Amino acid sequence: MTDTTTAPTTQTIPELQLDGVSKTYGTNLAVRSITADIPAHKISVMVGPSGCGKSTLLRIISGLDQPTDGSVSFEGKTVTGVPEGLAMVFQDYSRSLYPWMRVDKNVAFPLSKVPKAERERRVAEALEAVGLKDRTHLYPWQMSGGMQQRVAIARALASQPKLLVMDEPYASVDAQTRADLEDLLLRIQRELGITVLVVTHDIDESVYLADHIIVLSTPPSIVAETIDVDLPHPRDQVTTKADPRFVEIRGHVASLLRHKELQTGEDRP
Amino acid sequence: MTITQQLRPRSRPTTAARTRRDGLTLPVRIGLRLLVPVVILLVWWALSRSATSGYFVPSPLESLRAVGAMFLSSDPGRLFLGEATFTHFVPSVARALAGLGLAILVGVGVGVVLGVFPKMHALFQPLVHLGRSLPSPALLGVFFLLFGIGDSPKIFLIAFSVVWPILFNTIDGVMSVGEVRSQAAAVYRIPTRLVLTHIVLPGASPKIFAGIRTAMSMSLIIMIISELQKSDNGLGYLLVSTQRDFDYPGFFAVLIVLAVLGVVMNFIFLQIERRVLSWHRGVTAQND
Repeated sequence: MTDTTTAPTTQTIPELQLDGVSKTYGTNLAVRSITADIPAHKISVMVGPSGCGKSTLLRIISGLDQPTDGSVSFEGKTVTGVPEGLAMVFQDYSRSLYPWMRVDKNVAFPLSKVPKAERERRVAEALEAVGLKDRTHLYPWQMSGGMQQRVAIARALASQPKLLVMDEPYASVDAQTRADLEDLLLRIQRELGITVLVVTHDIDESVYLADHIIVLSTPPSIVAETIDVDLPHPRDQVTTKADPRFVEIRGHVASLLRHKELQTGEDRP
Repeated sequence: MTITQQLRPRSRPTTAARTRRDGLTLPVRIGLRLLVPVVILLVWWALSRSATSGYFVPSPLESLRAVGAMFLSSDPGRLFLGEATFTHFVPSVARALAGLGLAILVGVGVGVVLGVFPKMHALFQPLVHLGRSLPSPALLGVFFLLFGIGDSPKIFLIAFSVVWPILFNTIDGVMSVGEVRSQAAAVYRIPTRLVLTHIVLPGASPKIFAGIRTAMSMSLIIMIISELQKSDNGLGYLLVSTQRDFDYPGFFAVLIVLAVLGVVMNFIFLQIERRVLSWHRGVTAQND
C-alpha cells in the first residue's frame, strides 16, 4: 500500500517526490518512511491524525530540516536548502506576518530583489487575487484572522511559486471563513495552475480541496494510501459536499485513519 | 466574511473616551493630579519656616529665584540662559547622553549577536551577569585610572552602568522573535541583512525600548555620581560646591533642574517610543 507508483495519475510528471523520507529525533522515530509523488498543477492534500509528523515532513520538503534517511526532490533536483519556486503559508498567520509592516509591505518584503515596478505590480496582483486590493494600507492586526491568512496567501502568490505549501492553513479561522478560504484556494489554483500541497487533519477539507490525497498513518508515520479525487470542478461547498462520491471518499479516508491507528498500535515494537 | 470585514482600525482612545473609562470628570482629574504636588510644596514651605531646618531649607520661592539667577538670564544672545546652564547643565547632559548613546550602540549590537547565537549567549552569560551585578559607582576610581580625567571616564562609567538593562532586554527581545517568523524569513529566502534590520530588530524593539527607558533614568543617576569627585563642572559638581559654600537656595535650584531634566527626558523618550512602536500598541490593544 505504500507503493504509490501504482497511482493512476499519469498525465503529468510529479513536481515533488518523497523517496523513503524518514526522520528521527534522538531515539524517537517521527516519520518512518514516506514515499509519495506530488503531481504538478494539482492540489495534493496530506491528511493524517494529529502528531503524525506532518509538520516535520513539511519542514523537510521546504528545506528547513534534513531527513534522517531518504530524500526529497523538487523538479528532479534533490532538496538540500529552501528550493527556489517554493512558497509556504503557515498555520499561525499572526506569527508568520510581520505586525510592524502594513499589508502591502508584508507582501512585498520577500521581493526585495525584484525591480520596484515589477514588485509593485506583483503585489497588486496578488492582493487583488485574494480580494484585498483596497486593504493595502492596513496593519495585519487591524484585520480579522481570515483576512490575515489572505495576506499570507497573497505574500506566497507574489513570489510566483511553482509549489505552494500550506501547513494547516485554515486551522485557526472560523468555519465560515474557512469555507471562503477553501474556495479561494480552489479558484486561485485553477487560475494560476500552480502545484499546491496542503497539510491538514480535517478529512472534509482534504476531500473538498484535493485532486490527490495522501493519507498518513499515526507515527511513526507511513503513507497509508493515496487516493485520486475525481470530483468535478468547479466545486461548491453545498453541492460537492452532498455528492455521493464525496461522501464515499470521505468515509474511506476516515476509515483509513481509524484503521491505521489500530494497526500501527499493534505494529509498535 | 462580511461581518469580519467590518473592521475598525483601533485608534488611540480620545480624551473623552479616556475620561469615561476611569470614571472621572476633567476637573476632578486635574484636581487630583495637582493635590500631591501642592502638598509637597506646602510641606517644603513649612520646613523652610521651621526654626530648626529653616536654616538649611530655603523656601520654594527662594529656590525658584535661584534657578532663575543661575540657569536663566535676560540676554537674548544667550537664548535667555544663564551661566550655570553653559558651564554645568550642558556638559552634564552631554555626558549623560553620550554615555547613554554608547550604551545603546553596544547593548543593542552585542544583544543581537548574543540573542541570535545561543552558543555566544552561553559563552558570555557569566560575564554579563558579573558585569550587571557590580555596583558600577564603586568602579569610578578604576575608570579615572583607566581614562584619566575629563569627560571620558565619566562617559564610560555611564555607558558601563546603563548598558546592562539594554543588553538584557535586547537578548530577550531577539529570542522572543520566534521560530515561525524566522521560518517564514527562511522560506522566502530573505537576505540576512534584511532579516536583521526588518525582522529581528523591529521584533525586539518593544523590549529594547523598555531597556533604554530604564537605562535613561540610570544615566542621570550615574551622571551625578561621576561628577561628585574630580570634577570642575557639571550638575553633580554644582551640588557639592553649593553645599560647601552654604548656598542652600543654589543647592535646591540644582535639585529642581534635575527633576525637570528627568521629566523632560522621559517625555521626549515617550514621544519617540510612541512613534516607533505604534504598531506594538495596536497589537497589544488587539489582544486585550
